[in-house]
Amino acid sequence: IMLLYAVSTVAQDRKVTGKVVGVDNQGIPGVSIVIKGTRTGTTSDANGNFSINSKSSNDVLQLSGIGYKAKEVNLAGQTSINVTLDEDIAALEEVVVTGYSSSSKKESTGSVATIKSKDLVMVPSGNVEQQLQGRASGVTVISSGQPGAASLVRIHGFGSFSNNNPLYVVDGVPVQSTDFLAPGDIESTSILKDAAAASIYGARAANGVIVYTTKKGTKRARSLEVTYDGLYGVTDPGKGQAMLNPQEQADWTWNAIRNTAIANGTTPTFGHPQYGTGTSAVLPDYLNVGGRSGVSGTVDLAAERLKYNIDPTAGAIYQVVKANKAGTDWYGAITRMAPISRHSLGFSGGTENGRYYFGLSAQEQAGILVYNKFSRYTFRANSEFDLSKKVRIGENLQFTYKSVLAQDGNDLLNPNNSGLSTIAGEGDILSAFRMSPIIPIYDEFGGYAGTAAKGFNNPRNPVASRDGSKNDRSFTANGFGNIYLEYEPITNLVLRSSIGGQYNNAYQYAYSRLQYENSENNASFGYNEFSGYQFSWTFTNTINYQKQIGDHKIKALAGYEALNTGSGRGISGSGINPFSTDINYITLTTVSSTGKVVNSYINSGITFASVFGQLDYNLSDKYYVSGVVRRDGSSRFGINSRYGVFPAFSAAWRLSKEDFMRDLPWISDLKIKGGWGQMGNSNSVDPNNQYSLYAANVGNSYYDINGSNTSAVSGFYRSRIGNPNAKWETNTTTNIGFESSLFRGKWDLAVDLWNRETTDALFNVPLPGVLGNYAAAPAVNVGTLSNKGIDIQIINRGNIIKDLNYEVTATGSFLDNKITSFAPNITYLPGTTYRGLTPVRNQLNYPMSAFYGYKVVGLFNSTSEVASAPKQTGAGLGRFRYADINGDGVIDANDRTYLGSPVPVFTGGMTIRLTYKAFDFSTFMAVSLGNKIANVSKWYTDFYPSFTGAAVSARVKNSWTPTNTNTDQPIFEGESGFSTNGEFNSFYVENGNYLRMQNMSLGYTIPKNVLTKIGLKSARVSASASNIFTITSYKGLDPSVGGAADTNFGIDIGNVPITRSYNLALSLSF
Amino acid sequence: CKDSFLEVPPTGQLANAQLTSKAGIEGSLIGAYSMLNGRGVRLASSANWVFGSILGGEANKGTNSGDYTAINPIQRFETPPTNTEINDTWRVKYEGIQRCNTTLASLAKAGSDVTADDKKRISGEARFLRGHYYFELKKLYNNVPYIDESMDYGTGIEKVSNATDVWPKIEADLKYAMDNLPETQAAAGRANKWAAAAYLGKAYLFQKKYTEAKAMFDQVIASGKTANGKKYGLVTKYAQIFNAENDNNEESVFAIQSAANTGSVNNANSDDDLNYPYNTGSSGPGNCCGFFQPSFELANSFRTDANGLPLLDGSYNSTANALKTDFGIQSSAAFTPDAGNLDPRLDHSVGRRGIPYLDWQDHPGFDWIRDQSYAGPYSPKKYIYYKSQEGTLTDGSSWTRGYAAMNKPLIRYADVLLMAAECEIEIGSLETARNYVNLVRARAANPASWVTKNGAPAAKYVISTYTAAWTDKAVARTAVRFERKLELSGEGHRFFDLVRWGIAESTINAYLSYEGAKLITALGSAKFTANKNEYLPIPQTQIDIQGKDILKQNPGY
Repeated sequence: IMLLYAVSTVAQDRKVTGKVVGVDNQGIPGVSIVIKGTRTGTTSDANGNFSINSKSSNDVLQLSGIGYKAKEVNLAGQTSINVTLDEDIAALEEVVVTGYSSSSKKESTGSVATIKSKDLVMVPSGNVEQQLQGRASGVTVISSGQPGAASLVRIHGFGSFSNNNPLYVVDGVPVQSTDFLAPGDIESTSILKDAAAASIYGARAANGVIVYTTKKGTKRARSLEVTYDGLYGVTDPGKGQAMLNPQEQADWTWNAIRNTAIANGTTPTFGHPQYGTGTSAVLPDYLNVGGRSGVSGTVDLAAERLKYNIDPTAGAIYQVVKANKAGTDWYGAITRMAPISRHSLGFSGGTENGRYYFGLSAQEQAGILVYNKFSRYTFRANSEFDLSKKVRIGENLQFTYKSVLAQDGNDLLNPNNSGLSTIAGEGDILSAFRMSPIIPIYDEFGGYAGTAAKGFNNPRNPVASRDGSKNDRSFTANGFGNIYLEYEPITNLVLRSSIGGQYNNAYQYAYSRLQYENSENNASFGYNEFSGYQFSWTFTNTINYQKQIGDHKIKALAGYEALNTGSGRGISGSGINPFSTDINYITLTTVSSTGKVVNSYINSGITFASVFGQLDYNLSDKYYVSGVVRRDGSSRFGINSRYGVFPAFSAAWRLSKEDFMRDLPWISDLKIKGGWGQMGNSNSVDPNNQYSLYAANVGNSYYDINGSNTSAVSGFYRSRIGNPNAKWETNTTTNIGFESSLFRGKWDLAVDLWNRETTDALFNVPLPGVLGNYAAAPAVNVGTLSNKGIDIQIINRGNIIKDLNYEVTATGSFLDNKITSFAPNITYLPGTTYRGLTPVRNQLNYPMSAFYGYKVVGLFNSTSEVASAPKQTGAGLGRFRYADINGDGVIDANDRTYLGSPVPVFTGGMTIRLTYKAFDFSTFMAVSLGNKIANVSKWYTDFYPSFTGAAVSARVKNSWTPTNTNTDQPIFEGESGFSTNGEFNSFYVENGNYLRMQNMSLGYTIPKNVLTKIGLKSARVSASASNIFTITSYKGLDPSVGGAADTNFGIDIGNVPITRSYNLALSLSF
Repeated sequence: CKDSFLEVPPTGQLANAQLTSKAGIEGSLIGAYSMLNGRGVRLASSANWVFGSILGGEANKGTNSGDYTAINPIQRFETPPTNTEINDTWRVKYEGIQRCNTTLASLAKAGSDVTADDKKRISGEARFLRGHYYFELKKLYNNVPYIDESMDYGTGIEKVSNATDVWPKIEADLKYAMDNLPETQAAAGRANKWAAAAYLGKAYLFQKKYTEAKAMFDQVIASGKTANGKKYGLVTKYAQIFNAENDNNEESVFAIQSAANTGSVNNANSDDDLNYPYNTGSSGPGNCCGFFQPSFELANSFRTDANGLPLLDGSYNSTANALKTDFGIQSSAAFTPDAGNLDPRLDHSVGRRGIPYLDWQDHPGFDWIRDQSYAGPYSPKKYIYYKSQEGTLTDGSSWTRGYAAMNKPLIRYADVLLMAAECEIEIGSLETARNYVNLVRARAANPASWVTKNGAPAAKYVISTYTAAWTDKAVARTAVRFERKLELSGEGHRFFDLVRWGIAESTINAYLSYEGAKLITALGSAKFTANKNEYLPIPQTQIDIQGKDILKQNPGY
């Protein structure tokens, strides 16, 4: 720092001395003082004193210190000067927007997190909510690597048995998903976590509210500013899982045959359609020559070509498939380096009477799965005009065109689940690990190769599957916005009326190939098409009033709101076998007249009518109290219980304002706050829940009563048993915490302890089987759930050396989630079954979606161990030995137990920012601890009888043998049953902990003096890498495993991994 | 805000009140019929390919050990009460019952557009179907709660225990149906008076009420006709029973109607979509998945002696008599099929190497079997569609081609004759019994219906009727029971027959020990436990929901 004196070579005219103090009149050390327009500068000493040499009596001093607002002081002839710097408590000055009003975080008494807008654009993603992971405490975000796929976002745990998605509000208008938003258009993000903050949204607030506000011009005259942000990057799919190579797979097939024979006390009979019948397995030269398998030697390809046929409609299939003895990398074959580009333009400006923001953006993001691509084009126009001093009119408007190509697991009818079902479905990623590597991608004459060659069971060629979906398209056109009028009849009284809405039009079509290359082929060429629209609207009227009388400050809000969550219609059709499979020919008209199906639906949406009010009072910025109440009525519920009232109270005490705290100058700001409140939830209830209904459905209730063989007569069945008395779920939250700023803003520390209890949780009480299997069970208010946790945020800023500033932000959240009751007599709710395994049982006193099954205590190592162990069906050498949980000497269903939870106990993130002169560097790490993953993909790859012949994981090389007993990998053998792959057990349950270096970026801001020459206001270039590494012991591709349902998640059956990407970005403003 | 703003009516569905019109009630009844095939819940089909045929030893699961593992413990008689299939089956049967009850309840509220005749017919059909579904539950689970149209959600339906025997209720429903249904119906698929009579006879037979049963069967044999007005009889060619082109023939007493290309494969034989040879490509049917492979024991049973009669002494499994198979022989290696005397029904019932597989091609053996060492060398054959029917009598709109549209007979006239024969043996004339059996055998013996290869019988078919008079009840019983095995194999009857005859333990354990020695992984060391395995366990999920005081678990589980 002292070096700076050396550059001060100007003649010494005057000496100016002074002192820098804070508002508490204490000296501030380390403040940089520079004479404006020169390189002359100094730094205040330990007591805040400084002296500097000035040339002119009109020199301006620029003062800046960490944790304080920069200030300029004109010397105006003085030679001795005292300067008071105001604290710059950035975190507390952040604006909290609730959708109906806004306040500074300093005044907020609720639990709110805000996200910096620049953090939202740092890592490119399809959905802006992916950027929330690790950046806001109390928020759990689990995303998949598929662009455009929705993420699982949970705020303060899981308060309901289904659909715990938060409420998203954009510019005051509630929406179901936010994938239509361009991240660059977002000005502020507030996450309302507890009742005190969120109860203003009453009946829909229980899962938290995420409020986005888009950019507007500033409220002062300002010339047009144009910004450009561009980004280009690529995503590297990385490597797949380690699988056995062709020779190893053949050898292990023989090992399995041998092990099976040993287990059964017989002599092994070696044999496989490809590997021969000898005592050692031999790889063939050809896997399939016109149906013959295991062909060794040469084949007369010219002669074979004449018999070649891959058209099932033209007769028997005839292929020639050569063995790929080097092994096919199936994962590599279906993935690619995926480019991404994004360009955004912003135009903002204003006059005294008007202000505007226009945004244009285009994002093209390819997925690592070939053909998978997400594109989004947006146009935004926000403006506001003062019609008079008292009247303002404004609008926010956005048009979005979004398309998703070749997505795995798309669910168009449920945007919240888009792409999520891949995680727990048998998709192309799983196929890549099931296809034996000896199978080449193509046959000798250009057709697909596959499991039609004998001996490899039934996986389907994933390259063919990808190629088959390359023309699958799904796109939406979306109009969103609101228009509002504000009237301020007297100062600080604002009457506001806003009407907003969203119109979404979706279109989708997809093809399925008529296959020939697999052992199990699609029977027909299939085509389906869908179109639908949805319109939602919200009409909001509020009165805001603020008044300060002396030390008393009052803010009041009252409002009325009516809305419809979205009404619409949709039509879909499917058909098979068009005359030509040219995609320019295929329509629903040109498919075959047999097997053509047309469906449509109508959806009236759900209406809400609500009144709400909020009153905030603060005394001397020291004592704060706040009360909120909202009364909601909703069409979701029957007349008996249609309305719900949701109050919340909170208070805060700014201790640092008290005199007794003056003696603790290292505490710049300290606020203790607490609150209690109730929020409602009804997401998990079908709007038809109040009605008992019947339906006709061709798949459920038609019958060919006339014996025609080709047509069926419509029949009826009960589709729903209603519960007219269902009412709101109530979430009661209590929380206490503090926010502080220490050492003059060098440290910020905020801690929030929260508790969220759900009562009257709506639960689809399992119907007794005597009521059949088709009627949807009514949701009944019977369950209770408990969530509690701690949210922590720590910020440390400062400078390491002069000009090298840093800021470290760490967030952490602890979560304890538990189901505390179901209905009377019900102790659990089972999850989905995959290939005979049921990984999840939602059970009493355990977290949601907890894993449940047999606990493996080891593998049976000796026949004497088998004999002495508790009686276990199928017990044998190298097989799973289960714990006798109830100690009755028999292993049966009663010995299943809790095996772990997919809900992380701790999630957190750390951002480090460094700035050195024009350079900035930032890095972001996310961590998730304490959760488990059910790696069900191991069922497919780690057991010989799980579709015998399919590819095998390299893990089996460490499987149990009499000489390799120190392993947890069971013996590789033919038995499929209770003690092998037949039951879900702890073998599948893996530690889900991970630490991910999520992003690292380096930027350079071009100096102003360079820019002015070329007419730019600012320019920054940056390079970044994302998902640089992940530290985890998880054996699957990626530990970020979510799921489509709260009662069934954390199960990995071939998740699209989140992989490394590299980006270059450029930001300009004119 | 007006309350009307918050009243949003449901869309695309109906309220109960809308179902009390004639069309609504007729639609409810169709819905009740539609549950017969389980609607894609494969094991819940009334055709009972797992619970009737596989448990009865006619077949095993097929495919390989890792596929559809829920069936593995079932076929080994190790079914845990937590098995998902038994819970699904339970719910499907009750869904059928619920739909019958909805129909009956709506009928009680029907307006004047529903005539007295309509009421008789509709209530008759609904009660026939309800009787059928309870009959299914009775056979499968034995102790089941009885729910009629007076009970519903919210009125204590979950409190009905399974302690009361439902046989009287089944009889009452079937009796009502017989008394109220017309002899012929406008639609071939409807239950008629004679279907009800045959079913009632079957219900009596299951309870060993031979007198009542015989009375029913006598009437059915004397006067019965199909819903579409054909006098009951046996179709001339055995294979024509299982051909969609010949559905609703004179032999069809009551059948699950099946249709292709209706917009959902659930209206075709969705219970059978897995039950085709494996990896056939386009040269075979279905092309998936190798399930439901006939057993060695069943195939051997078709051995006939020099006189063309079955080996009733059980010697068909001896090394000398057992069918020659290609077990362990690759398709590329030479194989000559069995040259001994065989009942021609073998090659309508069991797909085996070297014999034409309908009009597809000769069965190639190993290459069409997913895992021979696991499930043996045979393929299912009865409910397989013909190559010529691909696309017209099959539904290709789903993931395999294996959605066929032939009806699944639940009771066919040959079954009636054989049941009547049982009654005759117990309380009537042995000679009448022999006559009934001979009618069935004579049809099988029709050379015109034999499987041919190159213009000649595909194997050495030697079959004849019982020419010698029957004088010994026990011998006659054995002959009738064996005839049922041969005639009705793969049609879902065998296990229930063995249980009602009281010979399940001995027969099945003999089967398991014979078959288990060959198919070690699938069936090795499996065992049938008497006084337990006669019935499935009550699903644990249902006990958990309703309470163990309401639903008492079956003995042994």
